[in-house]
Amino acid sequence: MSSVLQFEQVSKVYRPWLGRPVTALRDFSLKVECGEIFGFLGPNGAGKTTAIHLVMGFMQPSSGSGILLGRPFGDAHSRRRVGFLAENVALYHRPAASLVKFYGALNGLRGAELDRRAAAALDAVQLTSEARRNVGKFSRGMAQRVGLAQALVNDPELLVLDEPTSALDPIARVVVRELLLKLRGEGKSVFLSSHLLSEVELVCDRVAIVVKGRLMRLGRTADLLHSSEQMRILHRRIVASDSPTATTRMQLQDEVVSRRELPGALQRIWSAGDEVLSVNPMQRTMEEIFLEVTAEAESADQASSA
Amino acid sequence: MRGVLLIASNFAREQRWPILLLILGVLALALMGLTVDLQKQQEDALFLFKELSIYGIAFSVFFGGSAINTERRSRRILAVLSKSISRSQYVMGLLAGVGLAAGLYCFTLGITGTWLLGDIGFSRSHLWFLMACLLAACLLAASVSVLYSTFLNPFLATIATALTLTLPAGTTRFAGAGWQHVLPVHTLMDVVLQAAFRGDWVADWTLVALSLVQAAGICGLAAWIFTSRDIAVALD
Repeated sequence: MSSVLQFEQVSKVYRPWLGRPVTALRDFSLKVECGEIFGFLGPNGAGKTTAIHLVMGFMQPSSGSGILLGRPFGDAHSRRRVGFLAENVALYHRPAASLVKFYGALNGLRGAELDRRAAAALDAVQLTSEARRNVGKFSRGMAQRVGLAQALVNDPELLVLDEPTSALDPIARVVVRELLLKLRGEGKSVFLSSHLLSEVELVCDRVAIVVKGRLMRLGRTADLLHSSEQMRILHRRIVASDSPTATTRMQLQDEVVSRRELPGALQRIWSAGDEVLSVNPMQRTMEEIFLEVTAEAESADQASSA
Repeated sequence: MRGVLLIASNFAREQRWPILLLILGVLALALMGLTVDLQKQQEDALFLFKELSIYGIAFSVFFGGSAINTERRSRRILAVLSKSISRSQYVMGLLAGVGLAAGLYCFTLGITGTWLLGDIGFSRSHLWFLMACLLAACLLAASVSVLYSTFLNPFLATIATALTLTLPAGTTRFAGAGWQHVLPVHTLMDVVLQAAFRGDWVADWTLVALSLVQAAGICGLAAWIFTSRDIAVALD
């Protein structure tokens, strides 16, 4: 599988005129494969937006390099094949259709194709009926959907989205989620930065968690969610019944043990005459993983400073 | 080229209210023609015309000096530069936008001048030459302010532009006439400010062409600097 986006040992240090330099990314390496939805997570100030801005060429790395669709970061030609939505999108105040056409034209579209693509992009975010209204009069959520439409107008191979659903209501979130899944189905790739962990859990094939500019966890979403050390054993015990109409009854029991303790626990259950119904790794939520990773990073920091 | 034109037209669209205000100022001059006897107040009319010309330069500097910063502060620059637009195209587009605004202003001033001053004996061809000088001066002044705005905030960029444009004027007085061809905004404005009803005039197109060449060079330098600047960091 070929990669659409690649960071190679990228570091970014902000050097203000006054004050101490701030390191936003440290030796950051990452690969986003073609046709996947990649979740990019991290607490505030982790360096997510910096990484995205490096991809788009808004800033240059202090060291290291990156490749976007086969060309170095910042290459204007490769951006023609990319759709980008910034966090807290800011758009010119003009009718939605005219605005989306403006951005499409900046990407080289023209004539009937531009009209068709702009209409399709607005339709994808369910704003066709509002196409003639001025974006300045839109709610924040609607403006965010127009922002998504401008990202889609050039039919991009890769979508880079920074908090695309932060201002959306639950219905619009579902629309965007289905849109992302549809795009993946068409073979497009999505690089998605979001704080909405439940959304990420639902749509992302792989996830990276970055804390203080360092990549702390990377893996398939399903693997991360099942990577628990805890196992759940469901077993059935047949006990004497108190009921006058039945002599026995079944008692379902649920037991959580660590992976290490699993053989011993199974032995104990079987010895007691119980029937084991299932043994599964404990399903965790993305939120639990996220909190665990940030806590790990925090304690590692404290240890190194001590 | 299309990207440059799109950014230029978008800039003019975004600045439509200040541009309209400037044009209304010129139209106020036109009103004067309806209300006063211009034959008797020739010199006053010419003075107002010259004053409005200086406003053109001032607004070009303000437009140029604030364009990048306004777009960065509002974060609208991100969506534009996420398209297949290079930084140099962006800078050229902004300068072309200021040029478009200045061109509209000069054209309106030229039409008004033709009607007001032309009717009372001012040479119409002289007047349009003055407008060409003014437009060239506006473009050159704007290119210098755009250059400074790539790394300074609008306030400092405006001050730096004012200093840069007046420096050759001062140097010309002390170090010889050769300096009048360096960033010749002051020389072009001299041509406009020295215009009179009586007396000969010569159209020195070389100076206009020289200004445009220098504006293009400065625009190139601004584009080169802007290409290496981080645009998404917190401002100031």
